[in-house]
Amino acid sequence: MSGFKQYLTGVMDQAVAEALRDRSATVEAQHLLLVILAALDLAGLDADSFRAALDRDFEHSLGVAGVALSAFDLSPATPDPARRPGLGNSVRLALDRAMRAAGAGAPQPDHLLIGILSAEVGPVPRALAQAGVDREELLARLRAAAS
Amino acid sequence: MSDPADALAAVAALRRLADQLEDAAVEQAMRAGWGWPRVAEALGVTRQAVHKKHLKRLVAAGVTLRRR
Repeated sequence: MSGFKQYLTGVMDQAVAEALRDRSATVEAQHLLLVILAALDLAGLDADSFRAALDRDFEHSLGVAGVALSAFDLSPATPDPARRPGLGNSVRLALDRAMRAAGAGAPQPDHLLIGILSAEVGPVPRALAQAGVDREELLARLRAAAS
Repeated sequence: MSDPADALAAVAALRRLADQLEDAAVEQAMRAGWGWPRVAEALGVTRQAVHKKHLKRLVAAGVTLRRR
């Protein structure tokens, strides 16, 4: 457990930086995935292309409600250096799913990735679809390798 | 908006955009010399709520705040 705990702590620390950069009030599963993708190329997807896909999905989702991001020319708020984003619900779900994927065995970094990719709704699967990644296929491959 | 996944994602995106706009608009108003009561009334929330949410951030950003 301690090796995985150490890995998770490292990922979480960097994910906080991603959440701040994203001006998000909470650390979410997509921020964890951005950190993981910075260290590993997954199905041809790297952190920059995933970040771009997240941005496209945000714009697309606003567009569904008839809102264009470009319609607002307000200068963004000054970032607060003291702010520590809290833990978002998507991270809790990803960790629950990672533990379930690990089963009785010791959790490994790949189980965290499986936990994150298991989400069927929310920004992660939406952005992966935007990036043209077959999430189900990727998940099946990871599950086969982890078992 | 027939797909529930799209509709729900739109709600989440609008909330996120609203939060970003609130931070930006409150900062802009306070830089323009607005007081807390007026900002609160314009947002339709209590002065305590807007204070609690934005005071620390604006102090850190170096915005000169009016007392009232």
